[in-house]
Amino acid sequence: MRKRTLVYILFLFLLILSAASLFIGTVKVAPQEMLTSPILWTIRLPRILLAALAGILLATSGVILQGVLRNPLADPYILGVSAGAGVGAALGISTKINLTFLGMSTVPLLAFFFALLAVLVVYQLSRLSSRNSPETLILAGVAVSAFASAVLALIIIISGQLQSIYFWLLGSFSLSSYNDVLTLLPYAVIGLLISYFYSKELNALLLGEEVAMTLGVEVEKIKWGMIVLATLMTAAAVSVSGLVGFVGLIVPHFIRLLMGPHHRGLIPLAALSGTILLVLADTAARTVLSPMEIPVGIVMALIGAPFFLYVLRRKKR
Amino acid sequence: MTALSVFNLICGYEGKEVLRGISFEIEVGEFVGIVGPNGCGKTTLLRTISGLLPVWQGCIKVEEQDIHKTERAELAKTIAFVPQLMEPIEGFTVADMVLLGRTPHLNRFSFESEEDRQVARWAREELRIEKLSKTLVNELSGGEFQRVVIARALAQEPRLMLLDEPTSHLDIRYQVRILKLLRKLRQTRTIVATFHDLNMAARFCQKLLLLKAGEIVAFGRPDEVLTAENIWKAYRIKAEVKRNPKTRHARLVLLP
Repeated sequence: MRKRTLVYILFLFLLILSAASLFIGTVKVAPQEMLTSPILWTIRLPRILLAALAGILLATSGVILQGVLRNPLADPYILGVSAGAGVGAALGISTKINLTFLGMSTVPLLAFFFALLAVLVVYQLSRLSSRNSPETLILAGVAVSAFASAVLALIIIISGQLQSIYFWLLGSFSLSSYNDVLTLLPYAVIGLLISYFYSKELNALLLGEEVAMTLGVEVEKIKWGMIVLATLMTAAAVSVSGLVGFVGLIVPHFIRLLMGPHHRGLIPLAALSGTILLVLADTAARTVLSPMEIPVGIVMALIGAPFFLYVLRRKKR
Repeated sequence: MTALSVFNLICGYEGKEVLRGISFEIEVGEFVGIVGPNGCGKTTLLRTISGLLPVWQGCIKVEEQDIHKTERAELAKTIAFVPQLMEPIEGFTVADMVLLGRTPHLNRFSFESEEDRQVARWAREELRIEKLSKTLVNELSGGEFQRVVIARALAQEPRLMLLDEPTSHLDIRYQVRILKLLRKLRQTRTIVATFHDLNMAARFCQKLLLLKAGEIVAFGRPDEVLTAENIWKAYRIKAEVKRNPKTRHARLVLLP
């Protein structure tokens, strides 16, 4: 299939899906109230937009991490990056400290800092094994995730804001506002553009770090720059919508199967498909058990965990 | 004209000195084989010339350009390196993989031009893999994949090609094929490769560089280098050097 054809099909699908999602929900909106209904325009629309942006952020950071770590199982959630970001964000939310740095507000800033810490620890742990096997990285991710989750639970208990933080933690777009959309927008746009224009280096890295070097790539600089970028994108998504996993795993995997691993196609297609997946998952989250709402993180884990096992098995053969 | 000059080179990796006082010069258009026993520093030499390992002392010049003082992106337009083992990338076609060789010639904000595609096609034709263009690299045989890997390096349009044991895991038919292709390529560029099979190297290279424990034992035409005395020095093996009656190439025969 041609890349352009696939982009058109996916984009059309996203539009139809978003429009449908706007009109599906617990509260029925009469056709004559469509243009004025606050439920549609101040509750559902920002929610859809936010899910879409989180989809771009998480899918793209998955592509980047898989590329630079040369590991098809790398995903911000599985590597513990999301959990690390969660610790930072929870600290920010519960302590109400106010810091700003380079235009970032407290919550995303702390999320970024702790996510970066998690990445560094995972990377160093995975280096302990002499064989650079994909499983070592995953094991390191499991360990860091478990530790971060424990710290997160502690923060929640100590802060006494069990309900609010816990609900956010499970991953949800339910409290979305246009403010959140504006917060995520620059991360999504800038992150997507940077990774797209570095697809040359990401492609060269597919040949291995050494060959990439002899192709003129400053491997260490690019690798760490890209890891920091992916971490930043994940942290931004987590600080607004909590822990939503597996987007960065499922989406790039399918696009690779369809279009091959060339990053110039992979990055935009994965971003587009990431938005579709999360808008779909969020629509399911708020309608399947209506009027009750399931956190979207739970929906993604229900789909994603079996998928992870499938990829692991496929990799073994 | 001198393509590669190595002067008084000392180098190694992770604090372990591997090569000591290596000096030699290679002319443009030569196909040079680096030979010697396991652990003598063949690969280290190749990797240092390619810029993957640092030069501790001495200097390496590729066409008067000191590789030590050259940016990696610039170096990649002059030197291409083919490692001993490469894993095929799942989902890449032969055409995709060869096109990656154009990486050092691309700008940040523009992608492969028609010219880049033509160079890549030329590289595929040179290696006789044009027909495989749309095949996935993970479905190729070892000999086919090795030609793809070399075409990828050729698409870089390097003036110097470095290959680490390009024939080591191929059957004899593919060994000869790869060596013939390399011999043909050297008409337009300089080629340096490491080999284990001395007879094959003698048959196809213009010059051999024989190493032993990080030092040069001999450097010159194959019949000058492959003498019973040098073989004993490098490998501690008794051998008689005969000549192929048809081609007059030096040929080793082991003595009991």
